[in-house]
Amino acid sequence: MHLEATNRTPEVLISDSVLEMKGECYPEDITAFAEPILELLAEKLAACDSFSVSLELRYFNSSSAKFFFDFFEVLEETAAKGKSISIQWRYRSSDNSMKEAGEDFEEDMEVADYQLVEI
Amino acid sequence: MDSHDFHKLLLSRGTFFCYSGLLSEEVLSAISGIVREQVSDIDHDIDLTTRVFGIFIEQAQNIIRYSEERLAEGGIGTVAIGHSKEGFVVEAINPMNADKMLSLKGNLEELQKMESKELRKAYKQRLREGPPEGSKGAGLGFIEIARKSSKFEFDFVESPELLFVLKAWIVP
Repeated sequence: MHLEATNRTPEVLISDSVLEMKGECYPEDITAFAEPILELLAEKLAACDSFSVSLELRYFNSSSAKFFFDFFEVLEETAAKGKSISIQWRYRSSDNSMKEAGEDFEEDMEVADYQLVEI
Repeated sequence: MDSHDFHKLLLSRGTFFCYSGLLSEEVLSAISGIVREQVSDIDHDIDLTTRVFGIFIEQAQNIIRYSEERLAEGGIGTVAIGHSKEGFVVEAINPMNADKMLSLKGNLEELQKMESKELRKAYKQRLREGPPEGSKGAGLGFIEIARKSSKFEFDFVESPELLFVLKAWIVP
């Protein structure tokens, strides 16, 4: 899957063992945006031994926060089943909002390898 | 009020963006890019401008989802952003249902009392528990506005229909 970025949605790339997301996330319809991604992610996670995720967001709205919460929950559950999951939350050094958001999600990740990366 | 007085009023308040009328997701798509650019042109601090933009989006989506005066595509209201030497202010005004006033007032007063740690906790708790009854989003919008603003105030004004006014300040 490769979705080009729009002014309201990030670029999304999903292959067999990698998911990358980069840009802004405040879609007109969060469900229409989130569902295909979560479905494909579940498929790829079921088929893989290890999976890595890289997120580099500039902004996401509160409706999208629920999507990211569900997204990380799926990753943590998969890691808890014994698969190797690594996540990078990349944020710009001066972007406190995105740093804090990354720290918020980090709190719930116990088994999955989760790293905050300043860029 | 004459047109030129309206013009002067906006300038005197430091209002550099104002939209009034039907707000829909489609309208928001059309204006959000330029709002982001305008805010970034005024101040180059990424953290500050992301907070201003984030609060603008939450306020606009509140009008789209909850304004009492509606069309199929969205809600009627006004959203404005101003700037002065103190910082930014994002304002939203929309008609609301009087039945919801007390519970909204209670929610917002509770958020006003919270410190940043408590707001963070409330945000995470809401994420885990899911949206409350009647929410059309994640139920996080006001918590997000409280978290990202330096302070916010609200008011209910009878004019004669009931208007909900929300004003958030974002200062460096």
